Amino acid sequence: MKGQCLTISRGCTVAVMLAAVSWATNAAAAITGITGSSFSLTAKAGHIAGGDGVSLLTWGYSDGAGTMQYPGPTMIVNQGTIVTIDFRNELPVASSIIFPGQVGVTATAILGTGVPGMLTLEAPASSAATTTIRYTFTADHAGTFQYQSGTRPDLQVDMGLIGVLIVRPSGFPLDQWAYNHVDSVYDREYLFLYSEMDYTFHFRTELGLPVDTTTSWPVYWFINGRSLPNTVDPDNVPWLPTQPYGALVRMHPGENMLMRSVNARGNVHPQHPHGNNHRVLARDGRLLESTAGAGADLAETIFTANYTPGQTEDAIFYWTGYKLGFDIYGHAPGDPLEPFEYAPDHGKPLPVFLPSQLEITYGGGYSGSPFLGSMGDLPPGNGGLNFFGGMMYPWHSHHEKEVVNNDIFPGGAFTLLIIESWGTPIP
Amino acid sequence: MTPKTMKTILAGALPAVFLMLATGPASAIDFYLRAEAITKLMPDPAGGPDIPIAMWAFARDDLFQGLELEAASIPGPRLVVPPGDTTLNIHVDNNLAVPISIVMPGQVTALTPTMFTDATGRQRARAFTHETPAGNLTAVTYSWTGLRPGTYLYHSGSHPQIQVQMGLYGAMTHDAVVGQAYGGVAYDTETLLLYSEIDPAIHAAVAGGTYVPFGDPATQMTSTVGYEPKYFLINGEPFRPGITTDIPVGSVGTTILLRFLNAGQQSKAPLLLGQYMHVVSENGSLYPFSKERYVLFLPAGNTRDALMTPAVGQDGRYPIFDRMLNLSNAGAPTPGGMLRHLVVTP
Repeated sequence: MKGQCLTISRGCTVAVMLAAVSWATNAAAAITGITGSSFSLTAKAGHIAGGDGVSLLTWGYSDGAGTMQYPGPTMIVNQGTIVTIDFRNELPVASSIIFPGQVGVTATAILGTGVPGMLTLEAPASSAATTTIRYTFTADHAGTFQYQSGTRPDLQVDMGLIGVLIVRPSGFPLDQWAYNHVDSVYDREYLFLYSEMDYTFHFRTELGLPVDTTTSWPVYWFINGRSLPNTVDPDNVPWLPTQPYGALVRMHPGENMLMRSVNARGNVHPQHPHGNNHRVLARDGRLLESTAGAGADLAETIFTANYTPGQTEDAIFYWTGYKLGFDIYGHAPGDPLEPFEYAPDHGKPLPVFLPSQLEITYGGGYSGSPFLGSMGDLPPGNGGLNFFGGMMYPWHSHHEKEVVNNDIFPGGAFTLLIIESWGTPIP
Repeated sequence: MTPKTMKTILAGALPAVFLMLATGPASAIDFYLRAEAITKLMPDPAGGPDIPIAMWAFARDDLFQGLELEAASIPGPRLVVPPGDTTLNIHVDNNLAVPISIVMPGQVTALTPTMFTDATGRQRARAFTHETPAGNLTAVTYSWTGLRPGTYLYHSGSHPQIQVQMGLYGAMTHDAVVGQAYGGVAYDTETLLLYSEIDPAIHAAVAGGTYVPFGDPATQMTSTVGYEPKYFLINGEPFRPGITTDIPVGSVGTTILLRFLNAGQQSKAPLLLGQYMHVVSENGSLYPFSKERYVLFLPAGNTRDALMTPAVGQDGRYPIFDRMLNLSNAGAPTPGGMLRHLVVTP
């Protein structure tokens, strides 16, 4: 929804009246997932689209009898819940689910007979009609956790059997905290599940050929199961029926944005979220605290996050344009301050003279104005991807080879952060 | 054939043995290591008989060219330096056909690199420190004083991309005080988990004489740039279903120390399923605050010490597997690689 132009000084300013849409916290700003205490996950085959359009046979978890999805459904439970997950297996190989970070997981066959595997009890191949394995545990700690196949993980994790479990702390949603401490308060949250695929595993599996996993050489990288350009598409777009989760990040200046990051594949990814450092509160579902109850007193602020495979990390990202050195809204000195605006820069002009339009090539992300929330004239055919005059930052893996789709740039584990002015509603 | 294991499950037993063998001043300990060429058997991914892999390994003798105390093994003999000893001397007997040496990252000593002049007249380093020549008749000694407590790797400092891969590596551990890995870090039982890799192509080239730097790429291996390990070992063995035994690590209500070492060339990520670890140190340096994790980042050449404190009622069998997914034996479709089961007794 576009705002009305109020002034025509340095371009159009989106009406601040739209800020009547609340900037107080809320629940709309939550990660998409399924909630409750009893879940049904089925391992089944399907196809996903790589960012270059390749179609890859994928093994993923579906929500009950639904469509296979990559990653599996994000399960969101409350702390203290006894979680039961009934697992069925439609794959042509035995499979299972393990829950790193959960203590006291029990696995029993409530229908049919399971097969004891190396890591947990497994459902035999193609046994969905006759066998159900029930995994049970008490989610006694808040945090971000991953789940994955516990059977031949070197193959099955690449094939797509990964997902995320989020445990809300006691007292949620009254306090929108990630853990049981005010240090973890946030306004909106986003999930970043990193994964990758060696397409030869998928092609060979589809043809019934054996896979030597010691030759693993991924060339597709994903955030939330999608590669750029699809990372910036919304959730549940019809052209990606098996990849329901997007990875576009949008926030207002001054909000605490909770980044729940999970490395679900087998390599270290140095993730590089441009725009500011982020403050890491917790790893592996445990606050970085010196003693129990101290809160995140051992939190560290970093600008590149190296996630160990299997690890989860919770961090707060915050942006205000602090000390950028110019008024990011293009205000005149007498204009009122925006929420969280860095007052000493108020009214300061842009420190450069912008070249004329005929001397510049514009990317799709330029709104026509360098100011937050403002649009401006652009030559025909330019811009068009920045609907609200936001400021865009690339968030990407800094293993530069990972921002490609099978050697084609741009692609891979690459998404965008858009800082939107307070007048812009963000769902 | 399983190598002689050095997994200590009761603190105190081994240090007492080594104290009896110490020579020289009471604050020093001496070890006598001998480098040998051996053959190690690795599983055939096609299910046939085991495949012999040429390797180089350390054995331990009571004296230079004396009686063998421990047969050559992968990894090499664990060197347990008791708390009271702050000087470590390793005397080397080299029965290989190439010079070797010993370095111990994390422990401080003066190094005297061995140099050579290359084809263009430049001075190049061939070894990080002084060498032990092939077939030496007198012991060559490597010494460290002011020894720091913790968990360390020792390995060859000569042509390391070949010699370490061939098997010249092992663990050294030194407690600060009896029963304390570092000052204030007490433990009841301990287990050592040393991760390493085998790229059979390199071993075959070295053993067959076809590893030739500046050689003919068409017929020889001229560098290790194409490194692609096929076997992934914990304490010298890949996981073999039905054969690899569980590792008893201790009992509930106690503090179990897990010492992780990575003698391979690639990072590893041991993930403990069903329990958390408290990681207390890296590379022999104690953290000011421990880190509560279920997965540990273990880069090449690194060590980590972690404590497990299973509560009463949490006895059981806990898998620990490499989350970088090195879980296959040369491509076999069955479980393998870096997987073990740690058993906690009631």
